[in-house]
Amino acid sequence: MKEKIVNISLERPKLIIAISLILAILLGAMIPQIKIDTDPENMLPPDEPARLFHTQTKEKFGLHDMIVVGVVNENSANGIYNIKTLGNIHALSKEIKNIEGVIQEDLMSLTEADNILQDGPGTIRFEWLMNTAPTTLEHVEKIKSAVNRLPMLNNTMVSGDGKAAGIYIPIVEKHESYRIASEVKAIIDTLDSDDEFHITGLPIAEDTFGVEMFMQMAISAPLAGLFIFALMWYFFRSVTLITAPMIMSMIVVIATMGLLIGMGYTVHIMSSMIPIFLMPIAVVDSVHLLSEFADNYRPGKDPKQVTREVMQHLFTPMLFTSITSALGFASLALTPIPPVQVFGLYVAFGILLAFVLTVTFIPAYIALLSPKQLQNLGKVDHDQESNGLLARFLRRLGEKSLAAPKLIVSLTVIVLAISIFGITRIQVNDNPVQWFAKSHPIQVADKTLNKHFAGTYNAFIVLSKKEGDSKERFLANFDRVISEARSNQLDLEELSKVAHTSIKEQPSLDEALEGIINQLDERSFDATDEQLPYIDQLLELSEEQASEEKYFQSPEALAYIEQLQTALLESGYVGKSNSIADIVKTVYRELRGGDQEHFVLPDSNEAVAQTLLSYLGSHRPNDLYHMVTPDYRDASIWLQLKSGDNIDMAYVTEFVDAYVATHPLPKDVALEWAGLTYINVIWQDAMVKGMIGSLISAFIAVFVVMIILFRSVSFGLIAMIPLTVTITSIYGVIGFIGKNYDMPVAILSSLTLGLSVDFAIHFLERSRAIFKQTGSIKETLLHMYEDPARAISRNAIVIAIGFTPLLFAPLSPYQTVGAFLATIMAVSCLVTLMVLPAVISLTSNFLFKPEQNKLGEEK
Amino acid sequence: MIKKLAVLLLLYPLSSLAADLTDVNEIINRANNAAFYTANDGRAVTRMTIVDSQGRKQLRQFTILRRDIEDGGDQNYLVYFTRPSDIKKTMFLVHKLPGKEDDRWLYLPGLDLVKRIASGDNRTSFVGSHFFYEDISGRDLDADTHTLTQTDETFYVVKNIPKNPASVEFSQYTVWIDKNSMIPIKTEYKDEKGEVYRRVETLKTEIIGGFNTATKMKASNLRNNSYTINEMRFIQYNLGVPENIFIERSLRTPPIKWLKRR
Repeated sequence: MKEKIVNISLERPKLIIAISLILAILLGAMIPQIKIDTDPENMLPPDEPARLFHTQTKEKFGLHDMIVVGVVNENSANGIYNIKTLGNIHALSKEIKNIEGVIQEDLMSLTEADNILQDGPGTIRFEWLMNTAPTTLEHVEKIKSAVNRLPMLNNTMVSGDGKAAGIYIPIVEKHESYRIASEVKAIIDTLDSDDEFHITGLPIAEDTFGVEMFMQMAISAPLAGLFIFALMWYFFRSVTLITAPMIMSMIVVIATMGLLIGMGYTVHIMSSMIPIFLMPIAVVDSVHLLSEFADNYRPGKDPKQVTREVMQHLFTPMLFTSITSALGFASLALTPIPPVQVFGLYVAFGILLAFVLTVTFIPAYIALLSPKQLQNLGKVDHDQESNGLLARFLRRLGEKSLAAPKLIVSLTVIVLAISIFGITRIQVNDNPVQWFAKSHPIQVADKTLNKHFAGTYNAFIVLSKKEGDSKERFLANFDRVISEARSNQLDLEELSKVAHTSIKEQPSLDEALEGIINQLDERSFDATDEQLPYIDQLLELSEEQASEEKYFQSPEALAYIEQLQTALLESGYVGKSNSIADIVKTVYRELRGGDQEHFVLPDSNEAVAQTLLSYLGSHRPNDLYHMVTPDYRDASIWLQLKSGDNIDMAYVTEFVDAYVATHPLPKDVALEWAGLTYINVIWQDAMVKGMIGSLISAFIAVFVVMIILFRSVSFGLIAMIPLTVTITSIYGVIGFIGKNYDMPVAILSSLTLGLSVDFAIHFLERSRAIFKQTGSIKETLLHMYEDPARAISRNAIVIAIGFTPLLFAPLSPYQTVGAFLATIMAVSCLVTLMVLPAVISLTSNFLFKPEQNKLGEEK
Repeated sequence: MIKKLAVLLLLYPLSSLAADLTDVNEIINRANNAAFYTANDGRAVTRMTIVDSQGRKQLRQFTILRRDIEDGGDQNYLVYFTRPSDIKKTMFLVHKLPGKEDDRWLYLPGLDLVKRIASGDNRTSFVGSHFFYEDISGRDLDADTHTLTQTDETFYVVKNIPKNPASVEFSQYTVWIDKNSMIPIKTEYKDEKGEVYRRVETLKTEIIGGFNTATKMKASNLRNNSYTINEMRFIQYNLGVPENIFIERSLRTPPIKWLKRR
């Protein structure tokens, strides 16, 4: 089989190269259709219940994605409360309303807010808070005192310290936020202002993210290519030798990205890293192949024959290292995070493609080289290399390691133990805003605004009243009146039928009651004097039920919300919360004359309903329906959080869980969560759990592959040592240095697994082959520190350096991956070269003696 | 014969054969009278259906009792809510004073509270609907400059530009006035960008007690496709409503005799 592949490639090189190039061109043609996906919601599958509920909640309460403009004045004693700043806010807000794609009626700004105030004894007044730019200090003062009186505005529209004001711009389409933000910026630039302006908000973060992702792909990936090229040139000093791997890795990257895009997948932050992952991985095998070729080729030899020989002993290890690396990445498909799944599967695909090209494209390339080029290749100075810095270092490393195998093994055990302790200290936490660099305007805005305001991160507690048995109860009461009428010889059966059908046909009792009331109302016109009292009774019954259905208009429900809000505020986890209870209390206070003692909930459904009716007579009645649905069956509490860290959000949910445990929810009321900050917790949770599964299955799969490769359980076990030590110690370090376990850190485990087992495979394969020749463990191990160790370290260095351009990427997940991958390569290479020989020399009698014959047979 | 002739003569100005009006002030004055000052007094039961952008409905029902003091001038209203039951007996009393801020009172039975309501403008929502307070009671004619832009077979089209743009949320609005009945059939409001974002329509007119009367009206927010429909029923004119019921005391003790619909 493998001979066949190699032969075809050697005999029909042009065909092979043409096929490879056509593949790259065809799949590459898909790339222009690229769609960038920066929506953090997509971390969860579209049918994930928490995400569905989140989407539903947004619809139900008319919540939109918002761009937030923060205006900060730290210099003036009165903060933003001065004629100039307010004038600018006024001008800016009015202009913002004219920007295409802005939902005007939901714009939140001082200019758009309605003020409710006392206007002489017994009079309340609704007026725009700042419809005109203030020109007098009195007006400024009036605005200030109004904001301080209105809980819905205070610390949301203007910060508690008065230093910052917020303009919240709801937008129709998230992907338009970049354009809208630019228009806002352009307006800001025209203002004569000494204030600081910050533009932030999730849609902005997402859009900016997309731009930075492109930057990463456009800069870091080619840079990685360049680094690898330079590095290989340093190692091999032959452009001929390294051109083929470079072309091949380009083909792999283009084909993989083209396929991904062509299959209709969006490019997410994860998949944008695919090129930078594939490039070094794709290069290493072919470098291995070519350097062996160069070692063995001497002028006069048949290059095809040399290729066949080299392939003969490299094919199997290359196949297996590719399979294990692919397995490591493919195991990411077991996480429940779609972008991570796509990333894992496509990198796996790319690795396998790279293998196929290594055994076809590279031989074809060799077959096409001119004798002169081949001659140059043969001249590559190997002696220099075997006395180079790396060679000398490796030899010393070998001497030291082989001198004290017991010490090394005990040290390894100690490191493992400490690392496990470190792992227990790992803190799971993520916050997509923190993915930006600290100096990024979005991070600066985030920090500044959260310093002043109650919080720019949103979460929503949604309380829903379930139907319970109210339908049955209502119908029973209804029929009781009908049968009372019947006992007085009055036939009102038709009305009973009306009620029953209506309730059966209408989706909710609320809507059914509306129909029933209408019909009863009509019926009352032509009712006889005897029938009328019964119909009135039925009407009253139905209306009472209808009123009862509006659960979140009842003082009982509002009181629960109010108490929960108070507890949340006192807990310190939440900067501020807003709910229908706040609206009711504010309006009620103003209706009662404005004294703070009346800042309470009224005591009956009717009083609440009428208080709200007064509020609905303002300029912005629809603001109510962000807090409660028009049928009053669902209410939301909007929580403003100062931190978007998952860990902080988790504290809040835990607090609420504990609160609900001691303060049971009212009957038939359910509490659920929505909001992006909460959604982040959900996918983070899913990811941590999913990663454990993916890691364990990948570990088992790789172990099985190792047993098959070496036809030995003990060799399989030994092959697992480097990756086990590496993964454990890397995560141990993460636990100790307090680095958050976030998305990039999570995927590292699978990467490590797939990559560091390669070293073990090469190491063990080579030592078995050498042992076969020498028959001496000691000699074998000493020899291992010559060219086998150099090949392994070279690979490690190529991959590590290949990833370092990620350090220059603008987003922190890229930096994390870059830094840790370089570390992982170094650690697993060292563990392979130090711990494996130590273990082998300690267990050589058991390992090598009984296996020797079998091994001999195999080769 | 003479009687018939007299009737014909009376009807003549209303027929489409009549010469078109050209004076915009006369047009808007007559439209104002036709829409808000029909007869000397009147009563209607209004069923209001508020439909939000997601199609969710809310229903309110109230009786409006009106008495004109002067056509095109001062007039008084009582608005008495009957449904839903939790706002039953809630009541508005309005002394409309064109050119000045109206006097408005609100009675909330659940709080047993009478409150005077003042407003910076009349473009606040009427009980959470898409109708503004001003759509119900009529906008002050002097607040805008009016231009007759078009006269076709059925409509006078009048463009209106506010004299004080800061006091309103629109930049201009256009009214289509039915030439026959002089009832405004359609009003479209444009924002600063010149886009029509709001529409108030008369969906149905009937002749009641000899008067052309709008019996179904719709106010729409075209930006999010939400709207409110008002259906007026049990309309009666010239009931002989006395002036002395339009006082604060009526709020707590409603003049049921005049509010009852039959």
